[in-house]
Amino acid sequence: MHLSTRLIRPPDLGLLADEDLMARVYEGDQRAFAVVFDRHAGVAFSLAYRMCGRRALAEEVVQEAFLSLWRSGARYERARGSVRSWVLAVVHHRAIDVLRHESARAGRDIHDEELGASLPADERTELEVERRSDARLVRGALDELPAEQRQVIELAYFGGFSHSEIAELLAIPAGTVKGRMRLGMSKLRMALGDGADVLL
Amino acid sequence: MADRDCGNEAAAYALGALEPAEAEAFKRHMETCAVCRDEVAAFALVVDALPLAAPQHQAPRALRRRVLAAARAQPPPHAASTRPRRAWPLLAGAPRPALAALVVALAALALVGGIELGAGGTHRQVIRASVGDAELTVDGSHGQLIVEKLPAPAPGRIYELWLQHGSSAPAPSTLFSVSSHGTADVGVPGDLHGVSHILVTDEPAGGSATPTGKPLIVAALG
Repeated sequence: MHLSTRLIRPPDLGLLADEDLMARVYEGDQRAFAVVFDRHAGVAFSLAYRMCGRRALAEEVVQEAFLSLWRSGARYERARGSVRSWVLAVVHHRAIDVLRHESARAGRDIHDEELGASLPADERTELEVERRSDARLVRGALDELPAEQRQVIELAYFGGFSHSEIAELLAIPAGTVKGRMRLGMSKLRMALGDGADVLL
Repeated sequence: MADRDCGNEAAAYALGALEPAEAEAFKRHMETCAVCRDEVAAFALVVDALPLAAPQHQAPRALRRRVLAAARAQPPPHAASTRPRRAWPLLAGAPRPALAALVVALAALALVGGIELGAGGTHRQVIRASVGDAELTVDGSHGQLIVEKLPAPAPGRIYELWLQHGSSAPAPSTLFSVSSHGTADVGVPGDLHGVSHILVTDEPAGGSATPTGKPLIVAALG
């Protein structure tokens, strides 16, 4: 008797869209979860690192966000169509929590001696090249803003400060802060144009 | 808020920079101001791109190992859901009083609402939610909620859908956001057997274990 075996190749998960991967994550597929992690952990960690300013805190925030996605895969909803937006929103929210629990207000400053000095993104993969390219586009648009508009946007988004806190920090009226935010955000919207949602 | 310069609020709201009370007030304002809704939706795309303005790094390998090891140790609690077909009477949207009052009021509203029977035993009803429009389709024990004209949640916030069984506390179900046009097509995970109400609330990103705000949408089943 001749026995033959046939190898059934598992699907190449790397080719699947995030939403299809999430259907597998919902079923507990660890390989699919690893692919989702590899796709989005870089930008998630970069955001957390930028906000927390300390690597250990950033890792904690990112770990929590991804495990939350894993544990409650059913609670991710594809309506928005972007796993990345979901993960980044969780990272942003938790990083702000971390900042607010840090006793030293200085911990919310956006400078840290570690930042930029280590962990450069690896450009060997296509994904990383694309991320670096998108990042240059967004950074470039932000750098084009007048300094006072960039400052209030960065303090709000990366620092987690409210407009009143920013007004106090900069000793300017709260209305001025909001006006600068509006001008800066409008310019960013124009600079990124329709590309803003392509970046998601 | 009709007399104020609401345009300045939209950018601060999108950035999560309004104080909590201001954010709530602005959210209420958006229910009637299409200009601000559009403005916030456009700014939300910018906010979504802002993480890329941070210096980009690679996630540490040790972090990857820890996350995947923790995932292996804690498989998610859900199993593939079966979808036996069962007909359900439908739902109603609700204004924003306290939850208990809503549930009572909506039980009455559900009786008034007409039910449209579609192909394959699908029951569908378009309802008016307290914010935006909502339509729930129940096919057997599976539910699909479609919402329109719902403002984008504030940064760091997300919409959460809850399933309530009778008088028990609502159980968290799924999280969703809306498109830049204020629409969402939300599959209700799992089986709706025994579910008396489907609720939607606005929660912190990542969701909550119990509702922290008043429901924006309430659907009474059965």
